[in-house]
Amino acid sequence: MSRASFSACIFLALLVVGGGILGLTGPAVSAPSQDEQEARAILLEIDDLWRATSSQGMVRMEVKTVNYTRTMRMEIWSKGKDKSLVRIVSPLKEKDTASLKTGNTMYTYLPKTDRTIRLTSSMMMSSWMGSHFTNDDLVKESRLAEDYEPRISFKGKREGREIIEFTLQPHPNAAVVWGRIVMTVTTQGHLPLLATYYDEDNALARTIYFSEVKNMGGRLLPALLKVVPTDKPGEHTELVYESMRFDLDLPESLFSLLELRRR
Amino acid sequence: MQIVFFALRNFNRARTRTWITVGAMAFACAIMIFYASLLEGWLAGMEKNAVGMDLGELQVHATGFRADPDLYKTIVEEESVLALLGSEGFVATPRLYASGLAAAGNASSGIELRGVDLVREPQVTALNVHVWQGQWLEEQDQAGVVLGRKLARILGLTVGDEVVVVAQAADGSTANELFRVRGILKSVAEGVDRSGFFMTSATFRRMMIVPNGAHAIVVKRQVPTENLTQATARLARLLPSYEVRNWRQLQPVLARLFEMSDVSLVIMLLITYAAVGILTLNALLMSVFERIPEFGVMKALGFSPWGLFAMIVAESMLQVTVAAILALAAGLPLAMYFSHHPIDFSGFVQSSSTIAGVALDAKWYCVVTVHSVLLPVLFLYLVAGLAILYPALKAAMLKPLAAIYHR
Repeated sequence: MSRASFSACIFLALLVVGGGILGLTGPAVSAPSQDEQEARAILLEIDDLWRATSSQGMVRMEVKTVNYTRTMRMEIWSKGKDKSLVRIVSPLKEKDTASLKTGNTMYTYLPKTDRTIRLTSSMMMSSWMGSHFTNDDLVKESRLAEDYEPRISFKGKREGREIIEFTLQPHPNAAVVWGRIVMTVTTQGHLPLLATYYDEDNALARTIYFSEVKNMGGRLLPALLKVVPTDKPGEHTELVYESMRFDLDLPESLFSLLELRRR
Repeated sequence: MQIVFFALRNFNRARTRTWITVGAMAFACAIMIFYASLLEGWLAGMEKNAVGMDLGELQVHATGFRADPDLYKTIVEEESVLALLGSEGFVATPRLYASGLAAAGNASSGIELRGVDLVREPQVTALNVHVWQGQWLEEQDQAGVVLGRKLARILGLTVGDEVVVVAQAADGSTANELFRVRGILKSVAEGVDRSGFFMTSATFRRMMIVPNGAHAIVVKRQVPTENLTQATARLARLLPSYEVRNWRQLQPVLARLFEMSDVSLVIMLLITYAAVGILTLNALLMSVFERIPEFGVMKALGFSPWGLFAMIVAESMLQVTVAAILALAAGLPLAMYFSHHPIDFSGFVQSSSTIAGVALDAKWYCVVTVHSVLLPVLFLYLVAGLAILYPALKAAMLKPLAAIYHR
């Protein structure tokens, strides 16, 4: 056994033992309060909003930076919690470029070179398709409920609307990039309004605005997502959901590497 | 003259002891000549790798590029800057930088794309002749790229293999292209080894959609003897709207390491010679003590204390001189030999171990300089001179009558 895999084994063993201890002592120390349970339930609801058991849709993405402005259209599919596929429809230059996410792994198919690339962890914080989303956003977003401890931090009227605001603190051992996330949802229907992301130094890093609630595929959804990075004034990325369908019978093979190369 | 005559005669009296002392001094000095030459070679190799392959002597950047490298922070009018530098006695080459991802098979790794000017780059750095496998870039071969050594290993690439590059082009689109590995560099520096991905500037501009400008202009002094700090100031005056840095400012740790090398050599010399000094002191003390009655007689015959002191010093200096000649005779050929036949550590160390981020060749050459030869010899005289003081003073201060009857 090589030294690296040996130490990985030790590490895993420690994790298992540590987890066991936590598992044993956890419930006695702090049973989740009603607030926590409610926050967790809302979080799962939001996680589920755009995906259901499966989904398919068309999305337009507009990226505005100080150096360029570009619009892309893409078709998206998802199945279950951790499978999703994005295929670019236009512009022509990048047509058929596709990103496949299965679990924690992300692949990008590049039609120009006819190659599929697995993104390494070092690439996770870089921009996805030139937008203000990171690759990590695509991989990690569905795991909010797993990696963060939600807590309701405000409930009531704000700017004339009944809202619930909750704060997500990462679990001490979670490998996440945000120090804190604050989400605001409507009390009625639990539709997201605003999400603010803070870095490890507790400084505001970016804000996501949700608006234009529409009925799509039988669900009420915000059709417009606007990401505004704090450190780049004047820049933003807009995601417009043009159409969405839910609970379709999508084949598993759609989310395979083979299918990724399909033109 | 008389003193030298006495000293010469005494040199031959206790032959075994004299030659053991001389032998120890010669051995230590020879080893130190070899060590100093090796250290010179080691530093020269590091400087060659860091400055001659990667940093260049001076670099010009757009303001803010160094703090936050960004595809858009370019020196826009790079041709006029290059022309100005040329007319002011500098040799310069433009470079383009971008970050991206390279993938081959199942492996992928973050890379630093570097677009180089194939005509000007060889005038400033020697990267083009620092190729380990394959060949350097060629203007006609637009799909050919040259990789850092560690990067090639991470991606499992050899010359002739295909590699895909993905990066974000200046217009926000996904730049992706298939390249063929044309060459793999020898170890240069941590950064280049791990992520250096070299292509022609034409290929870089087309792929990244950067039609003009340069991210860095790497500069060399035309007259190598021009003081680096003065050259930096002169360049900064020429280009007030850009950031000008010399390699010592770009790599302060490395610069410090070079400054410290003399200190470390002196420390090594002191440690090695401390042992020689004690041995010399012991031998000379012995020779003084066993000759106390003889010194008493000499003093009674009118030899002055200073004469006696000078004679003993002359004796030891004679020994040191013989030792130095022997050391040069042994150490110089040794260092010369290893300047042509490097000591190969490649079996023991990783192919690209680094110090302060600069690659260390697994092959160690000696570089024989005036400095590396004279310093050990001078130190030998100094240490022996200090060791002799006590016995020589003791002899000088003997009382003649007591000395004659000393048993």
